[in-house]
Amino acid sequence: MIPALGLLLGLALGLLLNPSVPLWLQPYLPIAIVAALDAVFGGVRAVLDGIFNDKVFVVSFLSNVVVAALIVFLGDQLGVGSQLSTGVVVVLGVRIFSNVASIRRHLFRA
Amino acid sequence: MTLLTSMLERPLDPGYQAAADRRRAAGRLPATSTRTPIVLVMVVLTGFLFAVGARSLRPQPTAASAAKAQLVQRIEALQARSSASTARLAALTGEVQSLEALSLRQSGAGGLESRSRSLAVQAGAAALAGPGLTLTLDDSPQSAAGADAGSRPSSGFSSGRVSSTDLQIVVNGLWAAGAEAISVNGHRLTSTAAIRFAGQAIIVDFRPLARPYVLTVLGDADRIRRVFDPAFAGVYLSQLHQALKIQVGWAPGSSLTVPGDPSLRLSFAAPLRRDVGSAPGPSPTGPATP
Repeated sequence: MIPALGLLLGLALGLLLNPSVPLWLQPYLPIAIVAALDAVFGGVRAVLDGIFNDKVFVVSFLSNVVVAALIVFLGDQLGVGSQLSTGVVVVLGVRIFSNVASIRRHLFRA
Repeated sequence: MTLLTSMLERPLDPGYQAAADRRRAAGRLPATSTRTPIVLVMVVLTGFLFAVGARSLRPQPTAASAAKAQLVQRIEALQARSSASTARLAALTGEVQSLEALSLRQSGAGGLESRSRSLAVQAGAAALAGPGLTLTLDDSPQSAAGADAGSRPSSGFSSGRVSSTDLQIVVNGLWAAGAEAISVNGHRLTSTAAIRFAGQAIIVDFRPLARPYVLTVLGDADRIRRVFDPAFAGVYLSQLHQALKIQVGWAPGSSLTVPGDPSLRLSFAAPLRRDVGSAPGPSPTGPATP
């Protein structure tokens, strides 16, 4: 409950403050969001599995975002930015899907 | 395949399981609380990230798109105004014609009214109805895809499209074949009407047409076909159909209507002679300012 409220608070803050993202950061934003989604769904599944750990959650979140941004940066430098972004999105997308499937099994037993 | 298998089998971070095992080994509960401050901070940060991403990644309205939307709005408003004006013009023209007929009747000169009527018919000012035929011209099916590689000496036009020249030749052929009145997509062709092109669009009387081009022709349908087909325009049209796959459709009709041209203006006027009712019409003596 408290984390959900925190999420809403963060959303409200972002919408109200409406900060302008610097241009050099914009290519990393979509990948960072997908990585954050992966960490969030992983955390929710861990809660339902009964093995949630705050440190692991925070570390996985940060490392996901940083590694995803790093891959995109590296790809941009090598000239294969879009391909590497696609790879990151595919991997994280598969993880998100199977985590959501597991959450669904927990919640609906189906 | 091991990568895919491991991703699908154990999508959860192995770290969670490892941490839970460590805590179990230390004799504590495997799960920590979800309400620790660091989780809260992280979650707020996540929400912030989502909101910022949604805000800044949405396509921003640029100056060009705003200008375009404004132009579209203006064009639509002007089109609505134009059609309203056209309708009003048609109503007023009808009123003027009936008043004209009334005043001609009241002037007591016999035959003036019928002469005015026949002049209006010949000039294209009056709407007409009667038997005739419709001729539908349309671009060839391939021309949209640009697959037709045939060449026609009309640069800028992809072949397989109906050009203004085609329409001119066909219309002239129809006049020559005895058509009494012609309208193209609801635009009456008068003796001063022009068929031109602007870019790829065909323009009749300064109004652009959209395909298909439907020519409504009043007259003796059988006679028109009999004269038209072997003449130059008929041969030209069948060539268009065979070589460039331009779609041509004839349909006779027993009660077709062509509208009057609302944009006719007075260019010549002459005073009637005294012996008006019986004398033949005076010839135009000079241009009057419209």
